[in-house]
Formats: sequence, C-alpha cells, structure tokens
Amino acid sequence: MSLQQMTLLRREVLTIWRDRSLRYILLFGALIAVLLFLAIYSAQVIKAIPTAIVDLDHSNTSLELTSYIRNTENLQVIAYPQSFEDLEDLIRQGGVVTGIVIPENYGRDIALGRQTRLLAIIDGSNMIYATNASSAILTIARTIAAEAGIKTLVGHGVQYSDAQAAYQTIDFQEEPWYNPALNYAYFLVLALALNIWQQCCILSACMTVAGETGRASWLQIRAAGFSRLRLFACKAVVQVVAFVLVALPVYLLAGMVFSIPMRCGFLALLLFTALFAVSLQSVGTLMSSLARNAVDASRFGMIIALPSFVLSGYTWPLEAMPRWLQLLARVFPQTWFFQGLNYLTFKNPGWDFMSRYFLALLAIACVCYSVAAVAISHNSYRVRRAGS
Amino acid sequence: MEPVISVVNLVQHRGKKPVLGGVSFEVAAGERFGVFGAGGAGKTTLLHSVAGIEQIRSGTVIVLGCDVRRSEAFKKDTGLVTEERSLFLDLNAAENLDFFSILKNAPGESAGRLCQRLELGAYLGIRADELDGGVFQRLSLACALLGGPRLLILDDPIRDIDLESRQILINELNRYSSAGGACIWSFSDIGCRRLVDRVGWLANGAMNIYLPDQAIQEWERWRQQVETGGGVGRS
Repeated sequence: MSLQQMTLLRREVLTIWRDRSLRYILLFGALIAVLLFLAIYSAQVIKAIPTAIVDLDHSNTSLELTSYIRNTENLQVIAYPQSFEDLEDLIRQGGVVTGIVIPENYGRDIALGRQTRLLAIIDGSNMIYATNASSAILTIARTIAAEAGIKTLVGHGVQYSDAQAAYQTIDFQEEPWYNPALNYAYFLVLALALNIWQQCCILSACMTVAGETGRASWLQIRAAGFSRLRLFACKAVVQVVAFVLVALPVYLLAGMVFSIPMRCGFLALLLFTALFAVSLQSVGTLMSSLARNAVDASRFGMIIALPSFVLSGYTWPLEAMPRWLQLLARVFPQTWFFQGLNYLTFKNPGWDFMSRYFLALLAIACVCYSVAAVAISHNSYRVRRAGS
Repeated sequence: MEPVISVVNLVQHRGKKPVLGGVSFEVAAGERFGVFGAGGAGKTTLLHSVAGIEQIRSGTVIVLGCDVRRSEAFKKDTGLVTEERSLFLDLNAAENLDFFSILKNAPGESAGRLCQRLELGAYLGIRADELDGGVFQRLSLACALLGGPRLLILDDPIRDIDLESRQILINELNRYSSAGGACIWSFSDIGCRRLVDRVGWLANGAMNIYLPDQAIQEWERWRQQVETGGGVGRS
C-alpha cells in the first residue's frame, strides 16, 4: 500500500473520529440498542396474560374449572365480572386481554354428558398478546375436553383406564426446534439491534461521496488531480472496517453475556457481517454518488435504511408478501442479511445452503460499486460553487 | 517561449446564464496575471476552468502544455488558493500540510520551510476551521506551494484578511514570482492591481486586458460614469 493510500485512510479515520455525532452514533448506537432490546425482551416469553372469568353457572364443576384455569402457567386470572357486558367493558378498557365465559347449566350438562359451549374471548388488538393467549386457551381446551370425555365414558360404564386410553390414542406432541421455549429475546434482540446498526452504517455510508464533494476541500482534491476512485475506495475501506468493529461488541454482548444463540460460531457470523457491511457501504456509496448534495444523500439513505428491515422478511415472511414486493426485497442486502442471520444463528445449515446468501451480498456490492464508479466518473466536475 | 496558460475563446455558463462569453488571454512564466471584476463577473469560474475543476463548455484552455479537457498531468505542477476555506477543516494545520505534502509528493522539509516563511509555527496544532482568516490563507498558500508548483491559481486570497497576514502572503508571492513561478490571481478590489503585471477586467462575460496603471484609469473613468448616471456598462 502506497504512502498516499495510507494517508487517505488515515484522513478518513480522523474524519470519522472527529465528527463527534457520527462517532457517537457509530460507537454507541448499536450497543445501546442491544441493551435496550435485551431489557425490553427480558421476560423472554409472555406469561401472566391478564384474564377474566365470567362464571354464569356457579356450580361445583364451574368452580373446579375456574380453579384449573387459575393454576395454568400463562393465564393470570385477575377479574371475575358478573356478566358478559362487564367482561366486554373490561376488555375494551384494557383491563384484561382474555375472557372466559362459563355458561349457565355448565355443571349440569357435563354431568349429563351433554355438549356444552365455553366462550373464550381474546383481545386481537395486540397481536403478541392475542397469539399467546390463543395458544394458552387451546391447551386448556384440550385438557378439559379430554377430562369431560373421559368422565362421560366412565358414566356410560367404561373403565376409567379404558376411557383414558381411548382419549390418548393419538398422542400429538409439539416440539419447537431451534428455540424450544419460543423465546422472543432469542428471535428479536440481535436482529433489532443489528437493524439499528445497519441504519447507522448506511446513513454514514451515504456521505462517502456527497460528504466529500459537498465540502470546499473537494476543490483542492480536484485541483490536485487525485484519483477520485482511489479516494473513495480508501474511504470505503475505512468505513467497512469501522462498521464491523462497531458490530463486534454487539455480538460479544449478545452471545457471551446474554447467551443469545449463535449456532454457526462467532467467526462465521463475523464474516457474514463483514460482507454485509461491504454491501451496505456499496449501497450508501451508490446513493451518495447519485445524490446532488449531502442532504439528498441522507434522504436516500433514510428511504432505504428505515423500511428495509420490515421488508427483509424477518418479522413477516417474505413468502406472505406480494410477488413484486418479494422481488423488490431481494434487491436490498438487508433481506439477504437478516434471512441469513436467522439461519446462521438458529440452524447453521452449512455452507452449501448459506453460500447463496454470501454470494447475493457480494453481487449487490459489485453492482452498486460499479454503478457508483460510473456515476462518480460522470459527475466528477460537480463542485460546490461559492464564488463567481 | 510557451505560455504557462493559454485560454482561447472560453465560454462558460452557470445553468443557462452565460458567464464567460469567449474569453482569451495568455500568461507567461514568471508573470502575475490579475483577473478583476465585480462579484458574479465570472472570476471564480475562469480560475476553476484553468485549474481543471470546472468542465469546459467551449473554447480551449491549455495549462503547462496540457489541454485541461484531455489531461490532468498539469495538476501536479499547480497550486490553488481559493477564496472560501477549501482546506480540510477537520484536520489541524500540521495535518493539512502533511496531507498535501504526501498527496503532492513534496519533500518533508519544504513544509517546514514554508511554515517558517509564512509564520505558521504557532498554529500547527490548531484545526483549520478554527484559524483566523489571515492565518488560514497563509496555510492555504503553504499547502498550494508544496511540491514547487509552476503555476499558482489564487482566487482573491487577500480579501478581508488582517494586514500582517496580507503582507506575509504578498512577500511569499513576490518570492515565488522572482523564482519564475507564474500566477493567475483574481481580486475584486482594484487596489490589488499593483500586485500584478497585467489586469484582465471581466465584465459582461468579456475580458479586456490592461496594464495596472491603465486599469486604475479605466476604473476611475467607469466610476465617474456610474456616479454621473452615464450607465453601468462595466458592472
């Protein structure tokens, strides 16, 4: 490496370091994000879902059922409204998320072996609560339906053990793999923190060209006849290294301190992240080379950085999006990174499978850098005008 | 002897507005050529065209034997001082000198000598954006002189600066010229005519060239014309 290149690299390091706001954003943005998200998802799973029971029967059987629900793991019974209308008010005002209505004659119908109908109401306005509540109620429903069925068979003279066996003919076992406890923290914390990180990275990468050409010092660079491509290549190298260094403590904190799964191992994850940093930098450089000034470059960066995580298919499956949106999403490196991150951290499916993610990031970087190089050459006379 | 700068029929626009409408002149080695004009007359555009910063719309600009549209080879032998603060503002004075030294392949000791002559020693650790206007322009000239350029392009370098810095800059430029360096120097204060050998007066996109004494006579004539309401043809 020539002395000139070393000088350009050093200058870029100083530029990043001496830009106080950029330095703080890069140094602490992702780190604060990971700590914040760890705190938010510290409960890891949703338990104690606020529940109300309306017992319209007041029989011993309904009291038994109430007691059973009270002792379940994920529902926390906090209210016993007297009527369906009271339950409705309670849910509307956010007092409870779930309501179970035990109908009149519930005990009598069970005793006579008649069909009876319990009503479970779930507040669907909060999807996270609703999904968990639905799952918890389903578990309860299965158990009480089986118990009622066994009692009915026993009432018809079937031996208890035979009745129990009849209800266990099909043993349907659930085994959530890779995240057995369905831990929200495992699924979301690292991805959300890296989303903040990628936003910081892309916004700073968007200044690669526009930040330089927008300064009066660009006149000196042009007048001295420095190679623009060499200048921007040096800036890109420094930025990519800085981006990876910023991600490093996020991984250390998430993996070593908070035990978030990283099945692929630290080095593979770091390599994947480094490649993503290159592709992010390339997208930022492209935006920057197309922008008329630094403000435009920031706007372009925001347009890409902000929706890209949602578009990446991490929180909502790509396959559930319209076809055209799936194609659009695959243009962004964030899609490949966050999909790949999920595979690497939870499953580690091996190089044969993961190579497409690595190659996609590489291809995006190659295309973006090539187009940016053309744009930089084409716009090389673009200078800030202050004089006459 | 081949001129250091040869501009023939240079036309430049700013947006759709013509700024230079066919300007021609030459600058010889060792000569100081002044470009005078009001704000907006096209001085900076002309200097940027000579420096190879501004794309040439039409006409020919030959600098140190290179057509600026086809080659950048002349740039290693030129130095630029701009009216606005065009050094690297996030670097301190010493870092700016180091940066320019390495990028211009200038020997290390030349920065030291320039620092001494331009009296920059006390300011080396100060960031460029914190320097006063006069000191900043002294540092700009030091950076421009690194590598021993054959042509200096100066865009109103002594405008609104303190007298001490102004004198230091003039002394250094005298030294540079006496060593055979050529210089194109824009200014908007007619008093600066004494510092140059010829004055190219830019007005309405055209350039008329005068000797310094002729330039002041022309200025006086024009000023009286404006004051008596006889027209503003040279604005």
